[in-house]
Amino acid sequence: MDFLSSLFSFAYQAGDAFAFLVLSACGLAVIFGMMGVINLAHGEFILCGAYVSTSATHLGVPLPVSILLGTLVAGAVGMLLERAIIRHLYDRPLDTIVVTWGVSMIATQGTLILLGSTMQGTGTPFGSIEVGGYGYSVYRLVLMAAAVATLAVLWLIFTRTRFGILARATIQVPHIAEALGVNTSLVYSLTFGLGAGLAGLCGGLYAPTMTLVPTMGSAFVVEAFVTVVVGGADIFLGTAPAAAILAVVKAALTSWEGQLAGQIGLLVAVIIVIRVLPRGLTGFILRERA
Amino acid sequence: MPSHSSLGSALRLLEGPQTLGKGPAFWSGFVVVLALACIYPLFADGYDVGNNVYFFNWAFMALGLSLIWGYGGALSFGQTAFFGVAGYAYGVLTINFGDAYGFTFVSLVLATLIAALFAAVLGYFLFFGRISGVFLGIVTLSVTLVLERFMSQTAGPEWHIGSARLNGFNGMGNMPSLTIPWPGGDVVLYPDVPLYYLTLALLVLVYLALRMVVNSRFGNVLVAIRENPQRAEMLGYDIRRYQLGGFVVGSALAGLSGVLYTAWGNYITPSSMGMTQAALPIVWVAVGGRSDLTTTLLGTLLVLAGFQALTIYGSQYALVAMGFLLVVTVPAAPSGIIIGIGSLFSRGLKRRKAREAR
Amino acid sequence: MAILQTRGLDKWFGGLHVTDNVDFSMQPGEVHCLIGPNGAGKSTFFRLVLGEHLPNGGAILYDGADITRAKSYQRIRRGISVKFQVPGIFKALKVRQNLQIALQDHLSGHSLNEEIDRLLEFLKLKDAAGQLAGSLSHGQKQWLEIGMAIALKPKLLLLDEPTAGMTPDETHATGEMVQALNADGVSVLAVEHDMAFVRQIAQRVTVLHFGRVFAQGTIDEIVADERVAAIYLGETGHA
Repeated sequence: MDFLSSLFSFAYQAGDAFAFLVLSACGLAVIFGMMGVINLAHGEFILCGAYVSTSATHLGVPLPVSILLGTLVAGAVGMLLERAIIRHLYDRPLDTIVVTWGVSMIATQGTLILLGSTMQGTGTPFGSIEVGGYGYSVYRLVLMAAAVATLAVLWLIFTRTRFGILARATIQVPHIAEALGVNTSLVYSLTFGLGAGLAGLCGGLYAPTMTLVPTMGSAFVVEAFVTVVVGGADIFLGTAPAAAILAVVKAALTSWEGQLAGQIGLLVAVIIVIRVLPRGLTGFILRERA
Repeated sequence: MPSHSSLGSALRLLEGPQTLGKGPAFWSGFVVVLALACIYPLFADGYDVGNNVYFFNWAFMALGLSLIWGYGGALSFGQTAFFGVAGYAYGVLTINFGDAYGFTFVSLVLATLIAALFAAVLGYFLFFGRISGVFLGIVTLSVTLVLERFMSQTAGPEWHIGSARLNGFNGMGNMPSLTIPWPGGDVVLYPDVPLYYLTLALLVLVYLALRMVVNSRFGNVLVAIRENPQRAEMLGYDIRRYQLGGFVVGSALAGLSGVLYTAWGNYITPSSMGMTQAALPIVWVAVGGRSDLTTTLLGTLLVLAGFQALTIYGSQYALVAMGFLLVVTVPAAPSGIIIGIGSLFSRGLKRRKAREAR
Repeated sequence: MAILQTRGLDKWFGGLHVTDNVDFSMQPGEVHCLIGPNGAGKSTFFRLVLGEHLPNGGAILYDGADITRAKSYQRIRRGISVKFQVPGIFKALKVRQNLQIALQDHLSGHSLNEEIDRLLEFLKLKDAAGQLAGSLSHGQKQWLEIGMAIALKPKLLLLDEPTAGMTPDETHATGEMVQALNADGVSVLAVEHDMAFVRQIAQRVTVLHFGRVFAQGTIDEIVADERVAAIYLGETGHA
């Protein structure tokens, strides 16, 4: 029984880490996969989702609806940003990244100016269950389910919709969409919106579990970055397996030496992985496609 | 005399294809600016002069980033990691071993070398793993963010190196300033006129040395890698070594900034490695004009001065302004405002000439 | 002894067998053309010789030495040089500086400048020396890259579709450059589609098809080979 309960404890930890990695990374990965651009304002879309959903909850909107609201608002802001700025820089991907950092600064400091240094949270719902004498948050289990559900929905989008199939084609062979005469500007716009929306979803989901401050986005970005670096460009062949592997590494290190060791260990592991697998997991799985 | 001629050929590298500005006109301008910088303390209050050393402190990091990013084409978003590591290293060394016998300067060198060593180890994994531009940026950024988080939780008394407490979120303080040993009493370089001259001299030295580096064979290869890494490799260059070399030198300069800043203000905090602080060097260098040392230096000092002027309204307003500056200048003037304004001006001039000719 | 030889060279991408047990050999001083329909594995063969890809099996010998796993820059330093299909030049640098970067490890000072001038003359780029390389015409870019490749004084020069996008006049001039280099003792291996150009320069021709060596011989033998004509006709009738 003791063994079983510590097994459950480890599985819970790993599942929690997996959910966190998947939810924080998939928005970043969608945009990176499609456009080859890292959105450094990713953390601020998470912030946007968290603030919008929390405000909605304060107004009496039920939690799932307010999370959805956070997702939609972040997605809409993402599309606006793409229309206003990103669009003009497609031929200069590295400059795009720098510009999104500027957006990030404006968003973080603007939030600080407009909404103050913190926002009243809502508290974590659902309480906890007890397994083997230890309490486990039910909401964390909900988050794990949400991560799996998000992957499932993305799978459907990418395999069942015209947008998704075009998007995957573009990820596998860049510029193919243009060759097929597709309205790439619309596809890019939707992609950026989807990526931003996923960030917003992450923010909405995690908002009840954390302190809401304008810099909260940076609590997510390191994990999101390393997952994408290890995973490479493809969500299903890269991000998801990367998140699974990294989650086990992180959970092991966390239960051994604590939260911070988990994070440091993760980064060190990733830097070593880069040396061994330069093309990331996607490249490894596809065996360095020409 | 061979030594004479090698000095001569080194000095010839002060001008070259990789640096703007040549000939008597440029160098007389250089001398005038330098002279103005030298006589400025005569007309200002010692306290203000000492405060303005602050601007010079950051310039080293900006020049280093220009070398890595502008010349080498490698996005390093985490230069603040080396800034912080060197700053903390200076603190730990001087708090433990004191400031006698010129040890503060030994610490300055040691702390800079520690930052360089850290860059060499990190850079080895990154460049020899051949990661692409984007990934280099986010891995280095992750490194600085994780370091910030690590240092922030070192508040407890168990976190100390020798007698130096790391002090967590509040940062490490009370390390000695740079101190010159002098018969009849050490000269302590508080933020005042002597420190101003020392930092200015160091800055001029680094600027001129970097001009020689970027115009040397090494610099040629560095820009070749930026332009076309495959071609550079197919000319027989082991490009990983050159990239690593540029990264280590540039990061050592970030470290030097960290030491000078820590010695100047007698404190260093984890937030000096955070997201906001990491963005600032990017702003200075991108806005000034990253692909040239002179525009980087001028741009950095200009943007810093603007930033400082805005902080009287609150640092968050200044940071929003920095964000806007980045969002506006990068699309509009990819090579920075200085070159941007310059080419706008010369285009206008040409148009006017053309009109007069008609 | 062959200048370049491969034995049983194999390369897979995913499940695709792109280079299949290729035995290839060319003699010093030879101009050898590699032809074949699109997707025949010509580019992959080049990348394997250059070390941009490592083979899954087999060996590459250059000038008697095994270079199968050597790094690209090491191969270049041993005397292999390459001109890519898409001109690989340093666009934001001046023409002169492009050549200087190629030469600076071998020469310095006065002799460096003399060699640059000699190359500029050879490449018909004398008047463009101070221009940015990115502002050259397409043909001039190709020549500049050839210049960078031969600046290294290679024993073996690889040319990947050297005449792609050139006018007939430029193509002919390029052929003369290749012949002049060959007269100086440089061995040349070229991937080429333009059969007139192949006829102008090639002493021997190897046909690749589906990653295998399909035929080998002189240009006349290859042109006369009905099986070769068939694989081309099966495609679009390139030859």
